[in-house]
Amino acid sequence: MSEAGRTLRQALAIAALSVAVAAVVRFPLIQRFARGEFRETFFVAADFPGLRMITSAEAEDLWRAGEAFVDARTEDLYRQGHVPRALSASAKDAETGLPLFFERLPLEGTLVVYCEGGDCQSSLALAKLLLKKGFTDIRIFSGGWEEWERAGLPAEKGDDQE
Amino acid sequence: MIRNRPLLLLFRVVLGGLFIYAGVVKIVDPLGFAQDIRNYRLVGQSLSFIVAVVLPWLEVLAGVFLIAGIWKRGAALVITGLLVFFIVLTLVTMARGLDVDCGCFGSLSRKSGWGVVLEDLAMLALGLCLLMGPRKPRALP
Repeated sequence: MSEAGRTLRQALAIAALSVAVAAVVRFPLIQRFARGEFRETFFVAADFPGLRMITSAEAEDLWRAGEAFVDARTEDLYRQGHVPRALSASAKDAETGLPLFFERLPLEGTLVVYCEGGDCQSSLALAKLLLKKGFTDIRIFSGGWEEWERAGLPAEKGDDQE
Repeated sequence: MIRNRPLLLLFRVVLGGLFIYAGVVKIVDPLGFAQDIRNYRLVGQSLSFIVAVVLPWLEVLAGVFLIAGIWKRGAALVITGLLVFFIVLTLVTMARGLDVDCGCFGSLSRKSGWGVVLEDLAMLALGLCLLMGPRKPRALP
């Protein structure tokens, strides 16, 4: 066998071995995935009590009930259109310090956090920060602005009133 | 081609050690790593999960084989292949303007950027030296 062929075979054998070891060691986790856990996000619900994913219908109900909404997208996107009354708290900026308006929100109140929708992760990142800050009921609207807009729900443009 | 065997051994230990370390920190937190992969917005939830489960073991085993000197050329091929992939991934991520953690060394990860590319290029240089290194002298018949 040529040297290149031998090298390739060795590499493939290492790859196959890795798959086998991973399958054995991670069998319980793979079972959980197969049962449908982690399909929306990779956090273990038990590790983050107070964090829940919600659908657009639930988000709409909470909005109509007057619950606080937080927009985790950039300020620019927020200005172009957002959920009415939503407060702007870009997840990226929040890493260096949460906006002051959070001080005025009750820690036990419901907070709905959203971002662009689709694959966006900033709502989850912000939600985790808010959990650390002491908020106890955070809902992540994973469909985000994309679904909200598509559903033809009310929208607002311009700067944050805060 | 570098023929200095002690130097090549040092390269193997350094590169293998870095890969073992990178793999172990990801093995400890598979879901965190899956999230890091997801953040790149290239693959969906299922593929992110599969990669997060398998890739750390590939890094660890390739590192162990490289240091142990078993199938070392194959291990060097795995490592250089992964590094080329990481470099392309980082450049594509930068071009797309995404602001994500590289996910390379667990909690010690930095933002995807030129620093990560340079680190990977340095490791790639070591990997290529090993891949192209002198063959084991064959015993005379």
